[in-house]
Amino acid sequence: MSEYILEMLNISKSFAGVQALKDVTIRCKPGQVYGLVGENGAGKSTLMKILAGAYRADAGEIIYKGEQREQASAGEVIDSGISIIYQELALVQQMSVAENIFLGREPRYTLGVLNLRALHSRAAALLKRLGVRLDTRLPVSELTVAQRQSVEIAKALSQNADLIVMDEPSAILAGSELDQLFRIIESLVEQGVTIIYISHRLEEVFRIADTVTVLKDGELVDTRSIDQLDRPTLVELMVGRPLDEIFPQTEHEQGELILVAENISTNTILEDASLALYKGEILGIAGMVGSGRTELARALFGADPLTSGTITLVGDKSARWNNPSQAIASGLVLVPEDRKTHGLFTSLSVRINITLPILSFLTRFGVLQSSLENKIVAEAQERLSIVMASADQEAQYLSGGNQQKVVLAKWLETDPAVVILDEPTRGVDVGAKFEIYKLMRQLNDRGIGIVMISSELPEVIGMSDRILVMNNGCIVGEVAQEEATEAGIIELATMADAGANHS
Amino acid sequence: MNMSARLFGGLSDSQRLFLRRYGPIFAVYGFIIVLFIIGATQSERFLTVRNLTNVARQSAFLGIVALGQMLVILTAGIDLSVGSLVKLSILISAIVMNGESANQGAAIIATLGLGLLVGLVHGFLVNEVKIAPFIVTLASLGILRGISLSISTSPVGKASREFIMFYVQKVGPIPVIAIMFAVLLVLTWLLLRYTVFGKYLFAIGGNEEVAHLSGVPVKLVRYGVYVICSVTASITGLLWLSRMGVGDPAIGDGIELQAITAVIIGGTSLFGGRGTVIGTLGGVLLLGITANLLVMLGVNQFVQGLIQGIIIVAAVAIYKQEGD
Repeated sequence: MSEYILEMLNISKSFAGVQALKDVTIRCKPGQVYGLVGENGAGKSTLMKILAGAYRADAGEIIYKGEQREQASAGEVIDSGISIIYQELALVQQMSVAENIFLGREPRYTLGVLNLRALHSRAAALLKRLGVRLDTRLPVSELTVAQRQSVEIAKALSQNADLIVMDEPSAILAGSELDQLFRIIESLVEQGVTIIYISHRLEEVFRIADTVTVLKDGELVDTRSIDQLDRPTLVELMVGRPLDEIFPQTEHEQGELILVAENISTNTILEDASLALYKGEILGIAGMVGSGRTELARALFGADPLTSGTITLVGDKSARWNNPSQAIASGLVLVPEDRKTHGLFTSLSVRINITLPILSFLTRFGVLQSSLENKIVAEAQERLSIVMASADQEAQYLSGGNQQKVVLAKWLETDPAVVILDEPTRGVDVGAKFEIYKLMRQLNDRGIGIVMISSELPEVIGMSDRILVMNNGCIVGEVAQEEATEAGIIELATMADAGANHS
Repeated sequence: MNMSARLFGGLSDSQRLFLRRYGPIFAVYGFIIVLFIIGATQSERFLTVRNLTNVARQSAFLGIVALGQMLVILTAGIDLSVGSLVKLSILISAIVMNGESANQGAAIIATLGLGLLVGLVHGFLVNEVKIAPFIVTLASLGILRGISLSISTSPVGKASREFIMFYVQKVGPIPVIAIMFAVLLVLTWLLLRYTVFGKYLFAIGGNEEVAHLSGVPVKLVRYGVYVICSVTASITGLLWLSRMGVGDPAIGDGIELQAITAVIIGGTSLFGGRGTVIGTLGGVLLLGITANLLVMLGVNQFVQGLIQGIIIVAAVAIYKQEGD
């Protein structure tokens, strides 16, 4: 048997012509912690889904415990000793800790009668192995997120896992809970379990990993032992590549001040944030997932009530607001991150999706003027080059990029002064991205100020006039476009304990 | 902070959990006690052995289908067809029995077989054709009713003498039918608490995807649960034959809604994954006693529906308080 428990050799995978993974090789020795790092879209999740049996690789082979593995179902993968713990924990809320750990493999007597004593004592033993104290009879709905994660890990152990993949486990944990997780990982490693730890928080990787593999744009950048790495080198490995997208630029002077937020906090992670937005500029908001970017957008839009601070729209429309409908009336628009649940009526026609916010202006004596409606939809279609069969097509049948354009079109009809875009190009292809960028510049030309939240650093740097970096609920820095580098932003966004001095 | 959190402030976590989970059920039983007090003080006939026997027997009729319904609802499903299946069951059993005790066995087997078949069809359509349970059973509500009424619109067939006697048989003061319900109640409780099948019902209703990925045989369990539910309807059809003596096609209408009402009052979540047998019993008794008491007090029967509606809203409002 080879010295490796797992070898994934020359793995390639593409989706609809987009190369998600290209010739990636990783090798894991038993009883070690492997850090798998890379930006969003680097291919980490795809690689692990291939390991989990959820995707089939186009090329390459997987050698597990010395044997070549054929395509396997999710169940077969689990049986072979590989467990994957996803961010969205897979537990049944209403069932108890012990029932969740042994779901599908309950200790039983004949005729399907449960052995309750064994169920609880075995669950307690597993939790003890992890050093976790937990009542095995409590329903999972009563547990903290960290405790639920322990239950997932215990479930993996109960399946005799030799290899546990943790997909961004820290994203949902608070500081002290993270220490607990690291203790669990250390005790697992002592018991000979191999861990693949996916994260983009470099501090954690340096703290827990023995070996680090860096992926970028679906390709393996490097695999190095942790003691051959320092922070700047790792950052360099993660981002070290020229931008290969074209970002349309416009020449413009800094316009008048249009939106001011002073020291705003809400009941979320967001704390003491201040910003100013000028006419015709794009203000980029960078930061890792969970750093408070979306919370900032929601606060600006009045979706979360402020606990302190003020937000003012200045200029000829000087106004304040306390809720989204007032914000919209004042000239603010939020295009949310998850357009399927927050931005789009997927089962309704493109027409109604575009005209909904202004329907009341399209009536005469209460009767909808469909000619007016058609005109507006036709104009929007042309201006944004929305590809659709007809205005009556259901929005769900459009491509991601066209859906995003419909959402944009809908809000542009309200003639806003400020547009907040949360992940405007998530899930759209490169061509549509470029069109959305062009559209953003058109808005700028009309004097509209844009606040753009994005996880894609090339996009933030390429499109923003100024960039605010968020970390841990606070704005930790402002960078001008000319000075911005991916490394610099990542450095700011991943500083440990950042923002603590703000609170 | 919600009401229960305020009420249960000074307790330990497990006590608080217990109260939050079972508090509303205590409320249901508290309400039943209130009804008893009203009945005892306001009506001379309410607190008599004769009347209470009657209540027990009638509750058993509703209770048996409510148990089956509860299992389906625990998986986040629903079965709207039970009323129509009761109707078809009483017709089939009466026709097969045809007044002869020699035909009893055949009648029972035919009726239970009918339940088995209907349950399997429901399971097939939900599992394999992937039609929503509401739609599948809404269709079969219509189909089974249509079959029944095309068999006959007036009473047909006949129960045997012994079979009619079953309805009035008692052990001491307790009707045999009520004992039968009690046995099924305990069996259901054991099923939910001590068997793998029972746990799988909660798992499927709680999070079907997780259950599936954990290796729970989701389809098999679902076949099982629809069969059980349909068989409870067949059993109820047989009990109705024992009560009526003939295959009366007027029987059965609206039973499914009564059963669903009882289950919901008992605290089972319509979204699945949450519910207790003791709660369902409470829901059945509450409906049974309310109906009986309203008759005793001479209240117009049309008002009954109104009061039932109020009870549903009140009960669900109380359960909402337990929310996270």
